[in-house]
Amino acid sequence: MSLDFPSEAWTAAYKDVLNNDPGYKVAGAPWTAGALTFVVKAEPSIGLKEDVSFILDVHQGVCRDAKISTMEEGAKQPFVITGSYAQWKSVIKKELDPVKAMMQGKLKLKGNLPMIVRNVKAAQSLVENASKIDTHFLDE
Amino acid sequence: MSYDADLSFVFAHTPKVVFGARAADSVGDLVTELGGQRTVIVTDAFLAGQTDLVKRLGKSLGDRLAGVFSGVIPDPTAPSVDEGAAFARERGADLLISLGGGSAIDTGKAMAVVLTEGGKILEHEGYHALTRRLTPHIAVPTTAGTGSEMTLVTVITDPARGQKTFVGSHFLHPDVALLDPTFTTGMPARLTAATGMDAMSHAVEALISTLRQPLSDAAALQAIELIATHLPRALAQPDDLHARGQMLLAACLAGTAFSNAMVSLNHAMAHSLGALHHVHHGTLNAALLPHTMRFFAADVGDRFTRVASALGGATRGLGDEAAARQAADLMQAFVHRVGLTTRLGELGVPAESLPQVAELSLSDGSIIYSPRPVMDPAEIEALLRQAH
Repeated sequence: MSLDFPSEAWTAAYKDVLNNDPGYKVAGAPWTAGALTFVVKAEPSIGLKEDVSFILDVHQGVCRDAKISTMEEGAKQPFVITGSYAQWKSVIKKELDPVKAMMQGKLKLKGNLPMIVRNVKAAQSLVENASKIDTHFLDE
Repeated sequence: MSYDADLSFVFAHTPKVVFGARAADSVGDLVTELGGQRTVIVTDAFLAGQTDLVKRLGKSLGDRLAGVFSGVIPDPTAPSVDEGAAFARERGADLLISLGGGSAIDTGKAMAVVLTEGGKILEHEGYHALTRRLTPHIAVPTTAGTGSEMTLVTVITDPARGQKTFVGSHFLHPDVALLDPTFTTGMPARLTAATGMDAMSHAVEALISTLRQPLSDAAALQAIELIATHLPRALAQPDDLHARGQMLLAACLAGTAFSNAMVSLNHAMAHSLGALHHVHHGTLNAALLPHTMRFFAADVGDRFTRVASALGGATRGLGDEAAARQAADLMQAFVHRVGLTTRLGELGVPAESLPQVAELSLSDGSIIYSPRPVMDPAEIEALLRQAH
């Protein structure tokens, strides 16, 4: 069954996919810099009335938690990446490289950029795993 | 040179560029245009105390000069930026003029962030996270190399974490890049050569980056041609304002190119060598560049053909890879011609550190824009050994 993006079910599936992927265990092993918050900007025309924040707590190749959060809690994490629904959809479909998107301003980063680019393999693996989820996009 | 069918790019707007010998003597007009009433000049102790450059700016500013912050340090730290912002705030600054090389301009950019957004600079680290215009900023470079006057990034060292971090945003572009060749004639020969080759490496690496695009390529190619012609002249005749001016333009164009297309493996290695051995950044880029060009000779299509031409080569009848190798050979000769070395060993880099340099380079952000993926430290180590 397709899971709505974003939703609690989707983030739970993401956690499972990551923890079942031996590739992510290796690629994500160097990452010790803390949790990432992803913010999807509101898009009322497709039913997304408010900004949605979800936290991905990854550490040394393990996803310890993945959950929808309040904006306040999300903003407290060391890395906050914000983008429109269309940009996140492009990332999940592997049409948009997230690191390049940050450099081009398509995604906005609060946090230490060098830390992200130094862990580009982990970032690529995160995207690869997101693309494995059977996702229903709200604009389709 | 052509582009892939799926080309997609963003070319960031650039500052207003004001160029000309003694243009800085009219800086007051630009301050008026930007609505400044209380200007703080951001510079280092040497330029403030040992040259007449601050005095020249001050003469044009009159009573709109609210103070001179002379606490800029090489590789600016977060505390130095916060100190500068506190200084500017105390004086009620509504406009900043940064005067100096990349460190002064980066400090000015970061101070503008703190003055506008409050807090401390490290609270604002990130990329494209700023949301509004900053305190107006005029950048006046006194070197021709870093291109910081044209870029949307400021690099700040966080001593507590022992690492460099970035604040990047289109709002960080200075409002004006004021390029006055009379402000660069005091540069010593070695610094002229090293900063000029830094600009050369910005241009060459932007040309081969995976983020390259037509507008950055145009800027990069023009920069390469200007440097090839005018860096030797600026070295031979340090007071040659024409050559100095062309070098300022070249650095500005190369800054525009790499601000949009980024740099790659050469800078990744230079950053790593600099962190370990504290050798001047431009000197390292110069030493590495011909070797890096050979390393990627088979991966850059026809992009080095015009580099070879700019350096006096004749590539007619050559295939792309042969032309690229010729460009690398010509670049090596050019580095020697401007009095720099292409041997890391001559810069005091010990051979036994090269494996560590290779590992560090692999984790430098710049490497991801290399024209082909470089993932193996042994590959980088082999390249470093050739350059040693």
